[in-house]
Amino acid sequence: MNVATDNLRDPSTLFFQYDKIRRSIIASYWLIIFLALPLWWNTTSIERLPLPSPNVYAQQERELRFPIKIALDPAFGNIAPSVESELRNVVWQTRQGPALDISVGVGNEADSSDDTYVVLPGETDIVLDGRRMKIPKDHIEPSKLAQILSSLIFPYSPKQEHRVAQYSPRFRLAFTLLNEDASAGQTVVGWDILGAIDRHISPITSAVSILHNFTIESQVQFHAPLAFEPTALEDGTFGLTPEDLTIFVNSAEWTLSSSSSNDPVLHFVLFVPSISRRPLSILNNDGTPSTSNAFLIPQWGGIVLCNLPSASDEKWLSNMDLASPFSAFSHQLSTLLGIPKLPPGIKTSPQNSLLTSWQIDALLRHRMHETVRRTKDTLLSTVNLVQQIPNMPVDEKAQNDVQGALVALDAVWDSEGGKKFNLTDMLGNSARALTFSQRAFFHPGMLALLYFPAEHKYAVYTPLFASAVIPLVAAAIRELLAWRRQRRDANRRDG
Amino acid sequence: MANALGMYRTVKRLGIPDSNIILMLADDAACNSRNKFPASVYANAGRNLDLYGSNIEVDYRGYEVTVENFLRVLTGRLPESVPRSKRLLSDSNSNIFVYMTGHGGNEFLKFQDNEEVSAHDIADAFEQMWQGGRYNEIFFMIDTCQANTMYSKFYSPNILATGSSLEGENSYSYENDHDIGVSVIDSYTHHVLEYMEGVNKTSRLTMGDLFMSYNVPKIASHPGIRSDLFSRPLGGGENLHTYGRGNGWRHPGEWVGREQERGKTGTEVLITDFFGGVVGVDVEEENGKDATIVEDSPHSISREQNETGKKGVKAATYIVKDKTTSWVDMKEARAWASFLIVGLLLGLVWTRRS
Repeated sequence: MNVATDNLRDPSTLFFQYDKIRRSIIASYWLIIFLALPLWWNTTSIERLPLPSPNVYAQQERELRFPIKIALDPAFGNIAPSVESELRNVVWQTRQGPALDISVGVGNEADSSDDTYVVLPGETDIVLDGRRMKIPKDHIEPSKLAQILSSLIFPYSPKQEHRVAQYSPRFRLAFTLLNEDASAGQTVVGWDILGAIDRHISPITSAVSILHNFTIESQVQFHAPLAFEPTALEDGTFGLTPEDLTIFVNSAEWTLSSSSSNDPVLHFVLFVPSISRRPLSILNNDGTPSTSNAFLIPQWGGIVLCNLPSASDEKWLSNMDLASPFSAFSHQLSTLLGIPKLPPGIKTSPQNSLLTSWQIDALLRHRMHETVRRTKDTLLSTVNLVQQIPNMPVDEKAQNDVQGALVALDAVWDSEGGKKFNLTDMLGNSARALTFSQRAFFHPGMLALLYFPAEHKYAVYTPLFASAVIPLVAAAIRELLAWRRQRRDANRRDG
Repeated sequence: MANALGMYRTVKRLGIPDSNIILMLADDAACNSRNKFPASVYANAGRNLDLYGSNIEVDYRGYEVTVENFLRVLTGRLPESVPRSKRLLSDSNSNIFVYMTGHGGNEFLKFQDNEEVSAHDIADAFEQMWQGGRYNEIFFMIDTCQANTMYSKFYSPNILATGSSLEGENSYSYENDHDIGVSVIDSYTHHVLEYMEGVNKTSRLTMGDLFMSYNVPKIASHPGIRSDLFSRPLGGGENLHTYGRGNGWRHPGEWVGREQERGKTGTEVLITDFFGGVVGVDVEEENGKDATIVEDSPHSISREQNETGKKGVKAATYIVKDKTTSWVDMKEARAWASFLIVGLLLGLVWTRRS
């Protein structure tokens, strides 16, 4: 009997059913829930740090302007004003590319600063030497001089521009010697690539080394079939029609570059046709053979056909043999990099110098204009996208990169307005701005989270929380009611 | 799986190198030990054409094929350690072809068996690509059930889209291979691939011609087009304007942007603009002063990027509910319903106590 009564104790005498303990247990549940709420909020919300959007919008309104100082020798003093107005006119008409502030003065070479273009009277030819230009004094009209100057200072046209590869601080140059079919005989087994690069490519790469970093790779391949049949001509030679050229690169079967880095690649292919298809030439639109054996694929690279005279079975291309293909390659490389060509009839001094300061300056101005424009665009799109897509996270790195790009852009504006005008510094800053802005835009953390419609959220949360919350809420209400009843009873007893 | 491989083979045949194709295969069916024909995937029940072959480069396979990776590839937001071959290295001159297939439904496509990509996600990704200068034009093709809903949310310019079936309509597979017990290819893809066999690298056929070739009785669903975001005319001649209204169409064909089509000017969009590696070429005269431009195609596509996104073998058809209430109403209704349930339960406890 005693045992039974012992076992069936009144619940209110159990120690954990004492009012105080029971209520603190229930309260602790609620306490934990409230304490955990900030954690839940923190872990489920997306980190979106503010971006300096007003600064980005302010940058949009700024335009890069380049001061260009031209000093005419006193010998040209009488035509200087008309040259200046003509030149302004020409620049205003093109409206392409960077804005130029042109000032034409008359002065001696001695009292002009480094970055001034000097026009001196010369002899029979127009000769460029550094930033000096010697031009025959007789019969020079202001419009002619203005035209020459504008073609040197701003030599770009939209037509050329589509060939130029987009600016990148790093480029890889891949030189490939392709034997169409080595098994057919008269194979080219090797080439003096180092010598050829030294002689033809290095002068260009070193001249633009402040713009780009180059990595060069080369290879020889012995089997590179074409994906089409070249047209056989009546005289036993073979030709490539303009249509063939568009599909000449058999990218499915040729491996033209290693994929060791993510830098953009410029391809240069020396193609040796199979012995059964020699000589192979390029045909004009009307079917007549073209004098050229090289063609350029815009922004991709260049191809040169190499028709060897019948010779021994295995041939090694020497420096002599490579002279003509590599001069074509160097030509193509400068086109792809956007190095302007000199207008016809202008000579350089010393004779063998490849690039003059006029060309390099024009290239720098052009590239800088491009990088600044792209930076501004990228920053604007970053800010717009973050506003537009509410699920897009913005973390500290992305924020810092945007800040970095803005700082670098400001440095560009500073050096533009400052006394010490230095193209190289400006270029460095603008390139840095571009790198920062690109890194911010393509930051892996900026992936917008998946789109979840509202009912997905309810579907996730309801089964998870409803079952846990309902007993808790019910217990709290019951406890509250019990407490109120207790108080009422106590009051009644007291009263 | 044969769908994506078939597209892969076609774009490759038309001159796009592996380095510019990103192929995502969620199943490694070819190398699965249960495959009766090891290392091959055939395009048809007769096993005439091995799509897997000896020269294939699958960039993402198996569990690498996730929604996240797919969106990262599109937007270019990949960690620095990702190799070149797994990236979409496109720029503002690139034309991109995106092909997706798998099990889908209204505004979603299933990836693996546990996630799905929604039409909003892809639309946002395309917008980010546009803002980031990652494409010139996109051609989006999708073969799933209710495929046309997938492109309905796009809002970025220069996107041409086509899908295999209307909202609420299934896409069916083309034929069964009884030896391996699965369907090998879908009707719509089979039809497109068959049409593509007649296209070569220098073909002048236009997208309009492709769209006009859609044959509803053969495909067994109603393909749709969306061209209102696309600025160039589709070609295909006068017939195209009657798209989706001819013989065999049980429902009128869906074409978003039909009205704008007549007002468009410019060069017609060719199939090879997206499927081929045609480039504009400049021939340089030796020692010449100015390069004479022998050929300069009006659309100087420097690089053609093709993205073949794909998921899963599609063996069975997907059953879908007919949705009548509009999207917003459903959302509201469900939200209130869940509150109502909680309220009812609370009320129940309350009344039983008192």
